[in-house]
Amino acid sequence: MECRATARSLSDYLDGWISADEARSVEAHLTGCPACRSLKMELTELKNAARELPLHTPSKAMWARIINEIEADRSGQWQPVGEDAGEGTWWEKFKSRRFSFSLPQLAGAGALAVAVAVFGYSSLDSPGQTGRLNLAGARTAVLPDEDQLIREFDRRMAAINARKASWDPQMRADFESQMNRIDQSLSKCRQMLNEKPDDKVHQEMVRSLHKEKIQLVNDVERLKW
Amino acid sequence: MVNLDKTLLPAFLLALLICAPALGQGRDFRVKPKESSLEVINQVGTIRVTAGAPGSKKVQINHKKVSGDAKIDYSSEDDKKIKVEVTGKGTVDFEIVVPPSLDVDLLSYKGAIFVSDLTGDIKARITTSGNITFTGMRSKKVEAHGSTGNVSFTGELQDEGRYTLKSFSGRIDATLPADSDFRLSASTFGGVIDLGGFAMKFERQTNQLVEASSGKGRASVKLWSQEGSIHLHRKP
Repeated sequence: MECRATARSLSDYLDGWISADEARSVEAHLTGCPACRSLKMELTELKNAARELPLHTPSKAMWARIINEIEADRSGQWQPVGEDAGEGTWWEKFKSRRFSFSLPQLAGAGALAVAVAVFGYSSLDSPGQTGRLNLAGARTAVLPDEDQLIREFDRRMAAINARKASWDPQMRADFESQMNRIDQSLSKCRQMLNEKPDDKVHQEMVRSLHKEKIQLVNDVERLKW
Repeated sequence: MVNLDKTLLPAFLLALLICAPALGQGRDFRVKPKESSLEVINQVGTIRVTAGAPGSKKVQINHKKVSGDAKIDYSSEDDKKIKVEVTGKGTVDFEIVVPPSLDVDLLSYKGAIFVSDLTGDIKARITTSGNITFTGMRSKKVEAHGSTGNVSFTGELQDEGRYTLKSFSGRIDATLPADSDFRLSASTFGGVIDLGGFAMKFERQTNQLVEASSGKGRASVKLWSQEGSIHLHRKP
């Protein structure tokens, strides 16, 4: 496997969305390629950082502003805020517009930009391949209740993340290490499930591992750090 | 001449003050065993629960601070729900004696749990590392959930009893009388399943999953270790 192909598969590899054969090829390449190992490390850190980002719900005022602007745009009443804005091409109008973003919005936009960049990079040399989006759909199809388990975990983890900074460093390291172990195992089981989507044993294992993650969060809630 | 009393007494008192937390403290509670329960939430350290005399109505809890500045809170709702909770950083070991039929719920972030000779419902959970060990059990409901540590159960199964032993990467051992009547569900991803010579009637059997019955399947035994092995043992 070459560097370009490895880079293309790396994100799916970390999420457990590739076949066992493909995973072995990625691992074999990583063993002998420091550059791809480094890329893998960066991507892992990025995924971990994204997981730690708090969830933000846009305010009602913000939604109202967005809806108004869409409506105005639809009805051709779109007006730029900039003082110099007037008649001209859409690009001139766009340039004259003033934008302001809060920190969470910028963080979200940054994460989206990285996701788009990684997706774009992974799509190189593969015209017509829909890549991860279809795989995500396939994942949902083989395990319909998985999204619900992930949502429950994310919801509870968001509350935990808000106070994680105050934890004892050793306790935090133990928690994260355990979470990583479960994630790695989950990744392996999902690879197996990709090979045989109807395998009830691996479906149950994936469910058990999601529940294991939720149990870990439950414990920390009970322990009241 | 040095007055030993005056010199040594303050030193002795100072030493006692420093060592007191390590020497052990605790609380006793009077309970109604069939109506009461005990919950212990520890951060780091060992929890050991043993059965008192049959018919006893006393819960004796001794704790020993091994290190750190952990705080131990005791609470009781009408002597029915006793709760012991450790907060702060530090290692605390518990030695607890309970009426045999008391329901017990134990949680430790890190450290071992030992439970012996009880007949009440038992829950034991270790979040990270540490082994869970049950000996001489006659409970109708046991739930043990380890993480990287092993889970070991020795005891008699009760009709209609439910026994769930889980660990993410530790080994599971269940030692049961040879004539035990139970329905088994055992699954592992990275380990092996060893049925220890029990004569089983199989419903499903693969390297990773066994669903089978011994006898009429009166009790339910669920064993799971994602990465560790599962072993049943026949007790003659």
